[in-house]
Amino acid sequence: MDRIQDQKSLNELEDGQTAIIVSINGGKQMTKRLADLGITTGTEVKIIRKTLFSGPVQVEVAGSRLVFGRGMAGKIRVKLT
Amino acid sequence: MTGEKKINIVLAGQGNAGKSSAFNYLTGLHQHIGNWAGKTIEKREGTLFFKGHTIDVLDLPGIYSLTTVSVEEQIAREYIIRHKPDFVINIIDSTNLERHLIFTLQLMELECPVILVLNMSDVARRKGIEIDHDKLEKIFNAPVIPTVASHGSGMARVMDKVIELKGQPHTHRIHPYGKEIEQAIGQLSGSLTGLSLPYPVRWVAIKLLEKDGEITRLVGEQDPGIIEEAVRLGGMLEDIHGHDSGIVIADERSHIASRIIRESVRIDPVRKTTLSDRLNAVTTHKIGGYLVLILILSGMFLAVFGFGNWLSGLLGAWFGNWQEWWAAHVGTSFIASLGWSAIEGVLALIQIAFPYILPFYILLYLLEGWGYVARISFLMDNLMHKMGIHGKGCISFIIGFGCNVPGCLSCRIMESRRERFLTAVLVTLVPCSAVSVIVFGLVGKYVGLWWAAGLYLFAMALLFITGRILSRLLPGEPVELIMPMPDYKVPRLRTILSQTWDATREFIYIAAPIVIVSGMVIQAIDLAGWMPAISSLLSPVTVHWLRLPAITGILLIFGILRKELILVMLAAYMGTTSFSDVLTAQQMITLAIVSMFYVPCVATISVLWREYGWKKALMVCVLETVGAILLAGLVTRILDFVF
Repeated sequence: MDRIQDQKSLNELEDGQTAIIVSINGGKQMTKRLADLGITTGTEVKIIRKTLFSGPVQVEVAGSRLVFGRGMAGKIRVKLT
Repeated sequence: MTGEKKINIVLAGQGNAGKSSAFNYLTGLHQHIGNWAGKTIEKREGTLFFKGHTIDVLDLPGIYSLTTVSVEEQIAREYIIRHKPDFVINIIDSTNLERHLIFTLQLMELECPVILVLNMSDVARRKGIEIDHDKLEKIFNAPVIPTVASHGSGMARVMDKVIELKGQPHTHRIHPYGKEIEQAIGQLSGSLTGLSLPYPVRWVAIKLLEKDGEITRLVGEQDPGIIEEAVRLGGMLEDIHGHDSGIVIADERSHIASRIIRESVRIDPVRKTTLSDRLNAVTTHKIGGYLVLILILSGMFLAVFGFGNWLSGLLGAWFGNWQEWWAAHVGTSFIASLGWSAIEGVLALIQIAFPYILPFYILLYLLEGWGYVARISFLMDNLMHKMGIHGKGCISFIIGFGCNVPGCLSCRIMESRRERFLTAVLVTLVPCSAVSVIVFGLVGKYVGLWWAAGLYLFAMALLFITGRILSRLLPGEPVELIMPMPDYKVPRLRTILSQTWDATREFIYIAAPIVIVSGMVIQAIDLAGWMPAISSLLSPVTVHWLRLPAITGILLIFGILRKELILVMLAAYMGTTSFSDVLTAQQMITLAIVSMFYVPCVATISVLWREYGWKKALMVCVLETVGAILLAGLVTRILDFVF
């Protein structure tokens, strides 16, 4: 059973942590754009680098690196694996 | 030349897949670069002569998906559907196969003949990614060819395939969505068969379920009933999946791509940490990354300005006595003087283009080819966001330090029109190399280097504040940064040189006519003897508010042409280059501030005009001029307490 406490926003993870996307709470356009990049619920993401002052995050998805702006990263809920 | 020997191909793919390398390799010098009609997006076309065939190659703008989100995407899909090219060459990054296959699936839905080019196959091998090409060919029932476009390896095989398959019908395999989605598509397709649309029916049905704005409008014009049906069917999908139907389909497509990957790709489980990975870790580190950034950027500026000042001095000395020669041999009549001012404009452009802009572009494209530019965007995103634009805008600022013209042009990399305009306006506030001549030649030399440095800080602060204010005033939402972070790779000299050449040529094409013509106009005004009248007309502003000599009015008019003319004309009118004899320190600072921020130079204005329309260009000019004058007057009064 997933407890809601186990969930975090993508930008709350630390460098090197891996997690599974549980939900994407952005607008329709953002969610679609992410899906077009292969990022949907159930996708595994690994944080490579965060910037200071909760800026954008750099993640690895399916072997490729992507950068999300901080607002976007905040709307992606994940569960640590 | 016979008709059947002519073949049209387009290159399509997501960014960073090596599309530009492929295009440059195929077309070499036979390129034509223009704009898409009515759009500020570059259109690159070229021709290749291959084994007796004339192959026209069009490079479609880089895209993420074919569902209309951005202009680039709309251009790409409209082109493929309306012009029906013989082949769509889908350039794919082999190291990011899964993401790129999502786009491939969308291309196939357009029912056009596709050839899959798995580019960067060498890097994929090094990373331990093993792709079963035969399997992929079967899965899509389309040719799959591995390449390394930057070296050209495999590109001849792609062209052989194009010639071999030309005219044959394609039978790409359709990858069905889940049962309930396919039912909805089938039902909509049935209703759509009666309409006359230039698009494939299945594709239109999918787009309707995805709630694509453009397609919904087109179908709605012919039969609003179908839209109602699409909404109803979409609603059913939403009930099943709990998401918007557009997202359901995009999700499903992404899952199909994962499935294809599982069937055709084997990844070495021991993922090696490459040199690129290590470099990435250092250059995007939360502290170390910024140190590297400062080192690289200051190195770049020192190199460009060091080289630029040397070469520009050399050229200046060489051109130095041309005017005397002209006066002696052609004369000093009205017409002869106008002729000279045209030549002077060309010489001045040469003194900007070759010493500053060319090396600037070489270094910038070197950084881009290496992969560093994406890191700059990543590191600067946070700060840029406070000005309402995302990290990529920082690149335009960096270019703007060299020259505002290419800086404004580079705003095309921003996704939305709002962001392009916002970035361009801010770029006009970046002190370019011509403005630096004034800041250092006047304030740096006679008041102190720290004062000059202070002016730069002041400019940065002003830019930041303007960004904050403008981003609130301009309607629309800020776009979030989302971009692939490419691997570091060895930059290709050939690519860098061709990009540099394109950019420098564009600068000359845009700037030359406007600089020459407006130079002649101002020269004519001067020769007609109207300048004293103009300067006395402007004296309430220049003398009373700014507390500068009356000739400042004339200087500022010449400065519209090219900012450094303010200094050149100051020397000419005052009859001395020892500016401390004619201006106080306070006046120098005031003049420098006005010069930095009042109207952009005429070449920059013409770019603003071309890209955003004359109303916006005029608005920027007026607001910046008024703002600069108000600001400089205030500063001069504050400086009363210092000097």
